[in-house]
Amino acid sequence: MNNTTSGSGLPPRHISFDILRYNPQDPATAPRMQTYRIEDADSMTLFIALNEIREHQDPTLQFDFVCRAGICGSCAMMVNGRPQLACRTLTRNLPDVTTLAPLPFFELIGDLSVNTGKWMRGMSERLQTWVHTLEPAPDLRKIEARMNPDLAEQIYELDRCVECGCCVAACGTAQMRQDFVGAVGFGQIARFRLDPRDVRNDEDYYALIGDDTGVFGCMSLLACHDVCPKSLPLQTQIAFLRRKMAVA
Amino acid sequence: MKTVVTDVLVIGGGLAGLRMAIAARSRGHEAIVLSLVPPKRSHSAAAQGGMQAALANVTRGMGDNEDVHFEDTVRGSDWGADQIVARMFVNTAPKAARELAAWGTPWSRVRGGEREVIINEERVTLAERVDAHGLIAQRDFGGTKKWRTCYVSDGTGHAMLFTVSAHAISLGIDVHERCEALALIHDGERCYGAVVRNLITGELTAYLSRATALATGGAGRLYRVTTNAVICEGMGHALALETGVAALGNMEAIQFHPTGIFPAGILVTEGCRGDGGLLRDVDGHRFMPDYEPEKKELASRDVVSRRMEEHIRAGHGVSSRFGPHLWLDITLLGRRHIEHNLREVKEICESFLGIDPAEQWIPVRPAQHYTMGGVRTRPTGESPWLRGLFAAGEAACWDLHGFNRLGGNSVAETVVAGMIVGEYIADFCDKAENRVPLPVTLGEEFVKREAARLEALLGHSGKENAFHLCAEMQEIMTHHVGIFRQADALQAGIGRLQRLLQRSRDIGLTSKTWGANADLVAAYRLRRMLKLAITIAHGACQRTESRGAHFREDFPRRNDQDWLKRTLAFWPDDDAVLPRLDYEALDVKQMELPPGWRGYGAKNYVEHPDTPARQAEVEAIRTQMSDSDRFAVQHALMPYADKLPSACEGKNERLEEPLEE
Amino acid sequence: MLREVFIVQSGLAEIGKRSRWPARLDVVQSLSGLALALFMWGHMFFVASILLGADVMWAITKLFEGYFFLGQSYPRLVSGVVAVVIALFVVHALLALRKFPINYRQYTTVRAHAQAMKHGDTTLWLWQAHTGFMLFFLASAHLYQMLVWPQNIGPYASSDRIWSDGLWPFYLVMLLTVELHGGIGLYRLALKWGWPPLSRHSLHWLKWLLTAFFLILGLATLGAYMKIGFEHRQHYGERYTPTWGTEGEER
Repeated sequence: MNNTTSGSGLPPRHISFDILRYNPQDPATAPRMQTYRIEDADSMTLFIALNEIREHQDPTLQFDFVCRAGICGSCAMMVNGRPQLACRTLTRNLPDVTTLAPLPFFELIGDLSVNTGKWMRGMSERLQTWVHTLEPAPDLRKIEARMNPDLAEQIYELDRCVECGCCVAACGTAQMRQDFVGAVGFGQIARFRLDPRDVRNDEDYYALIGDDTGVFGCMSLLACHDVCPKSLPLQTQIAFLRRKMAVA
Repeated sequence: MKTVVTDVLVIGGGLAGLRMAIAARSRGHEAIVLSLVPPKRSHSAAAQGGMQAALANVTRGMGDNEDVHFEDTVRGSDWGADQIVARMFVNTAPKAARELAAWGTPWSRVRGGEREVIINEERVTLAERVDAHGLIAQRDFGGTKKWRTCYVSDGTGHAMLFTVSAHAISLGIDVHERCEALALIHDGERCYGAVVRNLITGELTAYLSRATALATGGAGRLYRVTTNAVICEGMGHALALETGVAALGNMEAIQFHPTGIFPAGILVTEGCRGDGGLLRDVDGHRFMPDYEPEKKELASRDVVSRRMEEHIRAGHGVSSRFGPHLWLDITLLGRRHIEHNLREVKEICESFLGIDPAEQWIPVRPAQHYTMGGVRTRPTGESPWLRGLFAAGEAACWDLHGFNRLGGNSVAETVVAGMIVGEYIADFCDKAENRVPLPVTLGEEFVKREAARLEALLGHSGKENAFHLCAEMQEIMTHHVGIFRQADALQAGIGRLQRLLQRSRDIGLTSKTWGANADLVAAYRLRRMLKLAITIAHGACQRTESRGAHFREDFPRRNDQDWLKRTLAFWPDDDAVLPRLDYEALDVKQMELPPGWRGYGAKNYVEHPDTPARQAEVEAIRTQMSDSDRFAVQHALMPYADKLPSACEGKNERLEEPLEE
Repeated sequence: MLREVFIVQSGLAEIGKRSRWPARLDVVQSLSGLALALFMWGHMFFVASILLGADVMWAITKLFEGYFFLGQSYPRLVSGVVAVVIALFVVHALLALRKFPINYRQYTTVRAHAQAMKHGDTTLWLWQAHTGFMLFFLASAHLYQMLVWPQNIGPYASSDRIWSDGLWPFYLVMLLTVELHGGIGLYRLALKWGWPPLSRHSLHWLKWLLTAFFLILGLATLGAYMKIGFEHRQHYGERYTPTWGTEGEER
C-alpha cells in the first residue's frame, strides 16, 4: 500500500492541550487547567483528539459533539481564546500548545460542555422565532403558496444559523450584558423579517429588539461576524435591523 | 423519588419526535419531548439532499404522482416494504412538504424559464414552466423515475428541523434536554413511560405517560465508519428490545451510503450525484456506467455502494495510508452551482479535507448510513406487542423501506410518520379505555431497578474498558457485517460479539460519580449496543438470500420463495447472548406491486409461488379498469385509505392535476 | 383587526408598546458623535492654518470672532460655539457612558475577553472606551478654557499658552486621544448603520488613513505653535499684528 505522508521519517508531532476543568456539580472542586499530550495524526480534528483523550487518558473529561461534521453546532468552544466549532478544527492548524476552554456567557455544565440549548430555547421564546401567520391552518391538499426563488435563497442564507453560540461567546456586549439577545437573535429576526409568510411588521419587531438588550445595545464590535462558522452576513444584517428599528 | 406525569412522552427530539409531539399537542394532549441533546442538534439536521414528495413542479418531475413514488419506493426496498405503509407515505409526503412550506421552511423554488443543468456529463437546457415559477423545486436522486426530491439548497434537514422545532416552541411544547431514557416502564402488555436519567445531574425520574413514542433515530454508531452523529447509538431500539416483549424488525437491513468522505465517513449528499456529479476510479475513469448502464451513478444506494466496493476489490481504488477509496467528481457542475446548491458540501470539503470541490475531486468510500430496521410497529406506529408504545422515523420499522431506503425518503418519512403516528397517538389518548390511572408504584419499581443497575456498575471494579470494547465492536461490525456478508464471517462475528457482551459485564469505571460521567454512559450504552449488534449479525446470518442492502456473497440471489418475510427479533432473557428470531411473511396476494426486477442491480431472483397469480390478477384489474382513473384502479388493487388518519386524507393537487371541488 | 387579536394571542401585547426612547437615544448618540467628529476635523483645519502662516491663522480667528462681518472682534461668539460643543460633548458622553463597563469586574472581564480574542475590532473598542474616558477630563479642561477665555486664541496667544504656559504635553496627549477616539468612532458609526456601504476592509483602511493624516497634521501644527511660542517667549502676552498691520494689535 502506498504510504503518502508517513514515509518521511520525521518524528511524530505532539500537541499539548491545556484544558479548563471545572465541574459545577461538585462543589468541592475549583476551576483548574489540566494538560493532556497526544500524538498528532493526519486529518485529526479536535473531535478525534478530545475523544482520544477521553478514551485513553481521562474518562471524566466532559465535552459535547453530535454530528462531528460542522452541521449541528454542538461543539463550539474557546480554542486559544476564540470560539469555534471543535469538530471543524484540524489539529494540524493548531500550535504545539493549545488552550481549550468552555464558551463564556452560557451556563457551564462541566469542563468544555455548556448549556447552549437552554439559552437558545429562551432566546427563541423571547424573540418568537417562528413564522407568525393569521391564516388558519393551510389546506395541505392544495398547491403551496408561491415564493420568489431569490427570496427563498436569501431566507435560507440567514436560516443557515446552527445556534452554536460562537457569536454570543465572541460578543463584547454580551460580556457586560447577560440579557443581550446576541447576533444569533438578530440573525433570526432578520430571517423572519425577510419571510413574507410572517405577518409581523417592524413595530412588532421593535417590541422584541428595540432596546439596549436588543439592537441598540449592539456596539458593532462584529466579532460575531468574524467567528460565525456559517459565515452569516451578520455585519450587514445587524446594521440593516438598526436602521429599520430606528425608524420603526 | 421524582415522578413526572404527562399524556404523551416522546423520546427523541429530531424531526419525527417533534412532529409527533406537535400532532399530540394540537389535539389537546400534553406532550413532553426527551432529548439527549438540544433538539435542533438532532441528527435530522444532517440530512442534506432533500425530501421526496411527488409535487411534480419541475419539468423533469412532470407526470410524477403518488403511483410513481410508490413504485420507486417499493422497488427500492427490494419488495421488503409494507406496501400499505408505502401508500400511506407517498400520499402524505406532499402534504408534509406543503405543511412545512406554510410553517416557514425556505424550500428552494422553481425558476420559470430556461436553465442549464448537467445530466450524464452533458450540459442540458431545461425549460421550467412559467406557471410553476415560485413553487417548491425538486432535484434528481438515486432510484427515482422522476425528479422528486424537494430541497433547501443542501441543508434540507437543517431547515426542516429548525422549522419544526420553531413550531413546537410556538406551541409551548416542553423539551427536556440532556435526558436519556434508560428503560421503558411496562407491565408486559402496556407501556407506561420511561425511567429517565438526567445527563447533567445523574438524577433518575419516572416519566409516566399514557402513550410513549420512540423517535430516537438510527444505530450507525455500531459501525466504525458511519455518517451518523455520535448520538445515533440505537438506544431507542434497545429500549424496545430490552422490554423482552416488543420486537425489532429487519435489523439486518443496514444501508451504506456511497459517498462518505474518506476516511472520516462524513456524508456528502446524494444531491452531488443527483445534480450531475460522477464517480471515478484511480485512473479517473467513470466506472458506474460499466456496471449500471441505465441508472449509472443514480441507481439505488445499495447498488451503487456495492458496485463501488466491487470496483475497489478489482483493484481500481485509489491507495492511501488509510486504505483504498474512489473519487466523487463535482467539478463539472461549476463553481456557481456548488456555492449555491451544494454549500454544505463545499464547507465540509474545505474544513475536513482542505480541498476546493469546484477544483478537486472528493475522496469517498461507502459508509454506514441508515438503519432500515427498527422497532416493529403496525401502520399506526404502535407496537403489536406492547400497547401504548409507538415508534416513528428511523427508529421504527413500520416498514416503509424494506431492505433498502431511497435517498430522500428518510427525511420525508420523519415528518410523514410524525404526522400519521402523531394522529394515532392522539386517538389513543382520546380513547376512554386508555384513560386509566398511571401506575406510580410500577414506575418506582422500574426506577429502583435502574438505580440498582447503575450502582452495581459504579461499584464493580472490573478490568474491562467500555470505550475499548466499543471500538472492538465497531471493528467487528464493519468487517463481518458490512456491505458484503457471508456465513463464516458472520458466524465468527457473532461469536466475537457474544464474547464482548460477556466481557462487558466486567467493566470497571475510572470515574465513580453519579452525575455527568461519560465513562458510566459508555458502559451502560455499550451493553445495549452489543445486543443490537448481535441482533443485526444474527439476522444477517440467518437470512440466506440477498435483498436490498443485505448482500450475501454465498447467497447472491433474492429469494422470494423463502425470504419474502420480515425478521422479528425478541430478547426475552436479559442474560441471553442471542435474540430469539421470528419471521412475519409478506402477503404477495395483497400486493399492489408484486415482486419483480427492480430496474437496476442483479436481475436474477427466485420467485415467490404466489407471484405469477397475483401478477396476472393485477394486470387483469388494470385492463378491466382501463377507463377508470388511477385512484379507482389503485383502490381496486390495494385499498388503504381507511389506514390514514383523517388529518392526512385527501388527494394532492398538482399543476397537471387540479383538485376538483 | 385580525392582527391585533393575533398579537394578543401570541403574548406580544405585553411588550407591544415599547418605548421609543432607546431608538432615539441611539440615534442621538450616533449623531452627536458624528457632529463632534466633524467639528474636530474642522477645528483641526482651522488651527492648522498656522502652517500656512500666522496671518492666515489670525484671519481665521478674526473670522470666527465676527471681525469681518461686524467690523469688530467679539470673542464671545467663540464662547457661543464652544457652548454648543460642550452641550454636544455632554450629551455624547452621557449616552456613551451607558455602554461602558459599569464596575471593575465588568471592566476586567471585557479586557480579558479582548485580550483572549485578539480580535481587531474588539480591541479597537477598548481603545475607544479608554480614550473616551480620558476625554472626559482632557476635553472638559480644554473646552472650559475656551469658554472662559475665548480671547486667548491667536498666533501668539495660542503659542504662548502652548509653550510658555507649558501646556504642550496636554495638547499632545489630547491630540492623540481625540484623533484615535474620533477615527475609531466614525469607523464604528459606519459599521453600525451600514453606511457608507463599503466593505469592512475598505472602511478599516479609510479609517487609518484619515487618522494618520490628522495625526500628522496635528503634530505638525502643534510643532508650529511650539516653535512660535518658543521664539515668542520673551514677549509673552503680546498679541499678533498681521503683516499688513491694519489693526495695531490682536485683542
